[in-house]
Amino acid sequence: MPDHPLDDALREWLPRLRRFALWLTRETSSADDLVQATLERALSRWSSRREDASLRSWLFAILYRQFLDGRRRAQRHAWLLGRLRAEEEPQAPSAEREAMAHSMLQAFGRLSAEQRSLLLWVTVEGLSYQEVAQILDVPIGTVMSRLSRARAALRRLGDGETTIVPLRVLK
Amino acid sequence: MNEPSEHDIHAYVDGRLEGERRAAVELYLARHPERAAQVQAWQHDAQQLRAALVGAQSLPPNPALDPSAIRMRRQRRRASRLAMAAALVLCVGLGGLGGWQMRGWQVARAMPPMGDALAAYRLLALDPGARPDLVPQHRGDLQAWLDHHFARGVPLPDLDAAGFRPVGGRLFATEQGTAAMVLYQDAAGHAISFYVRPPGPRRYLLPHGQRVDDGLLAQYGSGNGYNYAMVSRAAGSDAQVAARALQPLI
Repeated sequence: MPDHPLDDALREWLPRLRRFALWLTRETSSADDLVQATLERALSRWSSRREDASLRSWLFAILYRQFLDGRRRAQRHAWLLGRLRAEEEPQAPSAEREAMAHSMLQAFGRLSAEQRSLLLWVTVEGLSYQEVAQILDVPIGTVMSRLSRARAALRRLGDGETTIVPLRVLK
Repeated sequence: MNEPSEHDIHAYVDGRLEGERRAAVELYLARHPERAAQVQAWQHDAQQLRAALVGAQSLPPNPALDPSAIRMRRQRRRASRLAMAAALVLCVGLGGLGGWQMRGWQVARAMPPMGDALAAYRLLALDPGARPDLVPQHRGDLQAWLDHHFARGVPLPDLDAAGFRPVGGRLFATEQGTAAMVLYQDAAGHAISFYVRPPGPRRYLLPHGQRVDDGLLAQYGSGNGYNYAMVSRAAGSDAQVAARALQPLI
């Protein structure tokens, strides 16, 4: 069957989507389920895509919304079962825990899903603030204040574990 | 001097601020050491995060996530929904004819042989809005497509001599596996379909036979482990063309 031109673009983004999903779900198999659901939605919604959004922010937005929907469903389900608990982060498997021995990753893993997403988008994926605002559907000023909170939280959680060589800004 | 905006502070941390605004942030930070320490810590964290995350894990390849695999699964789901809808329409139609053949306990037994071939023909040949999965661009496209889906080999019937050319192929999902239909048309727009499927429940090998249903003729039989049907208009010479095409397969 002929290859769709979109497929190559999606393939290119696949590793980044998987990495992002992994840091949202913290678990490899649910991360891939999330990526699969994202790609299915991307393929079915391709024609109704808004032209002004970049492909990457569009894909990240789909993934993020799928994640939130899934979490809401899981919470409703938990409520129906009468086992409502505060949201618990799943235990990372041991191999991952090893990798997370790195204190930065440990601190990062303790941030909320939205804060993890924000920092991934901005510092790792290099999305523009405008793209992040589109994904979260909030004004750009809100992105900025949430980014401040996320950075402060990461600092607080990592404090005492990461050391900073104090450098004076001499300008 | 004015405190730089939150936007400019972050843009500075992320290395996205140039020119005068960058100089303004630098000037401000030089005069506000506590703010400078915070900005520097943020920069440090961002670098650490990038380094840690990019190196942290390389996920094992997962072929199920390839876009083409996902596309194929979607298509199969769609095809099975269509086939189910077609089967339902057929059941309702038969029920309306007075419960004809509804003598078995199972729906599968109640379905006359190759009812799905007729349903597929109606779906694709009689509905102008229906789209095939594959429109052949070159000779051999459809044969390659059949080879891909039917391991034991299914020779595509050649109806050229009678003026019928293959115009499209479509996959259907059955409980026993993938079924496929190739639609042929002649210059007058008459359609003949070739349908192949794995053997259905309780009719492992289909005896050679034919039946007429609402103006359509299905001729069917088995060979090489598959069930075949040619569906055409019951009237006119199309039936002989279909019969000749079916002959070498069964």
